[in-house]
Amino acid sequence: MRSEQKIESPAYADLGIVIRWFVRLRWVAIAGVLGTIVASKYLFGYQLPYSTLYIVLALLFATNLVFSRISRGSNLGFAARKAFAAQFHFHVCADYLFLALLTYLTGFLQNPFIYFFCFHIVLTSFIFPKRTVYFYVIVLGVLLFLISLGEYTTVIPHFHLGELSGFNADECIMRIPVRFIGLIIMVGITGYLIVNIKERLEARGQLVELELDKYRGLDRAKSQFILQVTHELRGPVAAVRGYHEMIIKGITGEVPQKTRDALTKANRRTRNLLTIIDEMLDFAYMKSEEEVKHASVPVNLKDVIDYNVELFKPMARQKSVTLRGNVPKELTIVSSRDLMNIILGNLITNAIKYTSSGGTVSVSAEPEGRQIHLQVVDNGMGIQGDEIGKIFEEFYRTRRAREIENDGTGLGLSIVQKAANLLQGRISVYSELNKGTRFHIYLPLMQAEEV
Amino acid sequence: MSKGKVLIIDDDRDIIETTGALLEYEGFEIHSAESVEDGIKLIDAIKPDVILLDIMFPEKKTKGFEAATEIKEKHPSLPILAFSAINREYAFDFAKEDIKADEFINKPVETERLVELINKYIS
Repeated sequence: MRSEQKIESPAYADLGIVIRWFVRLRWVAIAGVLGTIVASKYLFGYQLPYSTLYIVLALLFATNLVFSRISRGSNLGFAARKAFAAQFHFHVCADYLFLALLTYLTGFLQNPFIYFFCFHIVLTSFIFPKRTVYFYVIVLGVLLFLISLGEYTTVIPHFHLGELSGFNADECIMRIPVRFIGLIIMVGITGYLIVNIKERLEARGQLVELELDKYRGLDRAKSQFILQVTHELRGPVAAVRGYHEMIIKGITGEVPQKTRDALTKANRRTRNLLTIIDEMLDFAYMKSEEEVKHASVPVNLKDVIDYNVELFKPMARQKSVTLRGNVPKELTIVSSRDLMNIILGNLITNAIKYTSSGGTVSVSAEPEGRQIHLQVVDNGMGIQGDEIGKIFEEFYRTRRAREIENDGTGLGLSIVQKAANLLQGRISVYSELNKGTRFHIYLPLMQAEEV
Repeated sequence: MSKGKVLIIDDDRDIIETTGALLEYEGFEIHSAESVEDGIKLIDAIKPDVILLDIMFPEKKTKGFEAATEIKEKHPSLPILAFSAINREYAFDFAKEDIKADEFINKPVETERLVELINKYIS
């Protein structure tokens, strides 16, 4: 079900994507570091432990290669959440360690790249909650403090980055406390700010979720209303039609021909009334569906077409029109059965209505690349050239349609078009007067891997 | 000799009357019940070939669906044609697939089609 894919926090929405993004970002960083090292050596001539730097870089490269392999194998989902958290911890620790190593070997506090730690904290806050971010900030602070202390007390060597800042090695060591305090304040402020900004965004996100829930509630209420109205309106019409039919068939007793004719007409009008009720409800539904996403499920097109062809066979038979469905094989589309029934039902009834007896209406579907090409073809009266551009308009009825039938909303085709659009499809029509009409509908075909 | 026994369960008396009369005219033997409870009781007594079950009852919207499940549990081979004035899935809270019915029919239905469907299940 679709709703299960909903993940509570946007930060967790696409963990796999975030991880892959981290990996990609790291490739860029590795290239940048390599470039900087080469430049320091050949352009500026700094005296640095280059072989060690290359080894560290190679290690970083290898680590990222491993990460990239893992990230490709991991898939999205709730079950993998814990595994993802572990992966992220590895990523963050690796990044902090490698940046510490690389900067340590290139002057440490003297190296402006040391401020990249702030950037790392921002990335950490992308994926972890407040507490974890603060924890990492503290761990980072301790790590930086230890290295600084080591350098200051000359327990570990200071790798001097040339005369970049105008100071020699000893002067640099003297400046370690001041620089350390500057760095630690920077790191701390970054952590604090980013966590606060993130919290605010999340609070807003939750508000949006609440609003959405309200709309979902409204949507359910709307569906309930439609249900009620359909039931209330269609029920009585069903009974009226039943009684009409009983009288027409003579079940209630002998009926004079004139009465029978009158009732046949009444019966036809009630059927039209039913169509109008359906169209109004579908129209109301479509209007709100544009705002609320409809349920999309895999739908077997052959089943839906066969169902609709069977459903309208009696109507076709009454008019002596041949109705044929032709779907060569099983085709699956992402749709809702309702929308497909609305599309096919409207097009088929139209086709039957505007085809004279002896004519043929055929429904066919075939794959065309990544699309389904659906056709409803009749050899009926066709549509006049000046009207063909208007038939998808709401409430528009062609002159001939009005001649044939008094009742009608002129909503049918506009509903069909809306339904096709909702399914990311498109509809077009080709018609020749007195020869027939051909409706083309293109819908996205469901790919095998999506099924 | 009747073409088969049809049990109609619907809370709408007029629907029972009209559908019953039209099916009787087509040669079926008709029995009816205005409530799910009565309908289920009737099954054992009359042993119908097909059940026409209204799936929407005003007092409890899911009653018809529950009834369908109950009947299918007791009489797995008894065909149920679910009957409803509602013709769009979006108006339901549930998927049609969840309901134990062999066929769905929207009210009103052309008698011709109804007869066709009933005959399909009376072998």
